[in-house]
Amino acid sequence: MVLLELFWSFLKIGFTSFGGLSMIPLITEEILSHGWMTAEQVSDIVGIAEMTPGPVGLNCATFAGIRAAHLPGAVAANLGVLMPSLTLCVLAAVFFSKVKDSVRVQQMMVGVRPVCFGLICAVTVQLALTNYQPGATFLPSLLIGAADAVLLLRFHWSVPKVLLLSAGLGLLLVR
Amino acid sequence: MKKGRAAAFFWEFFKIGFCTFGGGWSIVAQIEKQYVRGQQLLTSQELLDLTSVGRSLPGVMITNVSFLFGYQVGGMVCGFACVLGIAMPPLLILSAVTLGYQALQGNALMMSAMTGVRAAVVPIILSSAVALRKGAFPQTACYLVAAVAFALSLLWDVGCIPLIVFGMAAGIAMCEWRERRGEKPHGAA
Repeated sequence: MVLLELFWSFLKIGFTSFGGLSMIPLITEEILSHGWMTAEQVSDIVGIAEMTPGPVGLNCATFAGIRAAHLPGAVAANLGVLMPSLTLCVLAAVFFSKVKDSVRVQQMMVGVRPVCFGLICAVTVQLALTNYQPGATFLPSLLIGAADAVLLLRFHWSVPKVLLLSAGLGLLLVR
Repeated sequence: MKKGRAAAFFWEFFKIGFCTFGGGWSIVAQIEKQYVRGQQLLTSQELLDLTSVGRSLPGVMITNVSFLFGYQVGGMVCGFACVLGIAMPPLLILSAVTLGYQALQGNALMMSAMTGVRAAVVPIILSSAVALRKGAFPQTACYLVAAVAFALSLLWDVGCIPLIVFGMAAGIAMCEWRERRGEKPHGAA
């Protein structure tokens, strides 16, 4: 049943992601393996999730949920991705003083952070292969991507601004 | 009384949820403004502790921090109220956006614009990876861990979950190894 699958997928995504875009590799993996969307649409999610207010994880859950099973799907996916907040955080809140100073948790994070970094780099390569495919859109895409990289890294533009510009450039350059 | 309080928190977090551009930190800033400096429900040190715990737990950082905040100031029910309050606006907004996206999918202009947006996604993720780099490598061995995760994921299609578990184990192993050699205990950032 697709609602349960959505809930379960996003539950897994929730429990194994640590902040912001570290969710993208997991989301890509789950969505592509279920065939809920194409690789291009996964990029659309990231773009749209970054363009609109709200955390990326929730936005992706809603987008993927609606695409796979309309509004009930969105609710199921949101509940899944919220599960760590509704379970682990309850435990953490009850035992707050212990968790706050837990050496084990900090030790785990020392290993988890570089893994997230590696995974993000891997998914970047994967997305680059789909988004800069040889063909009619190859040159404009590459140009837009290069301009965005400069604006983000050198001039520290905000992400929504970069996305807006890219959409505009897409309208101008892509036929 | 308590029920009314949870409802009030739900409503206040619902409103905060609408203006959360720029990720988790903008929420923390708003909680700080409203409840630390405004109503003085908690100190800024307490908020900092909540944030750092919420950040190191898996899942969506903002909803984690919201629950911990609600629990601290009003108990379990308030915690749930804050989570639902903050999660509702993105659900509403994205539902509308997704329906618009679906409606416009065949449209030629829309497809041109989305090609531009897709081209932006890789630089965006890269720039967030650059930001992430700062806290990710407290020890030299962390680079090896990152390289292993990258290679296993990309070349051998190993799933994310086993790799995260591998990271947890590697983190404990690296820190214990360091401690045993009498160096600085757990080089957590």
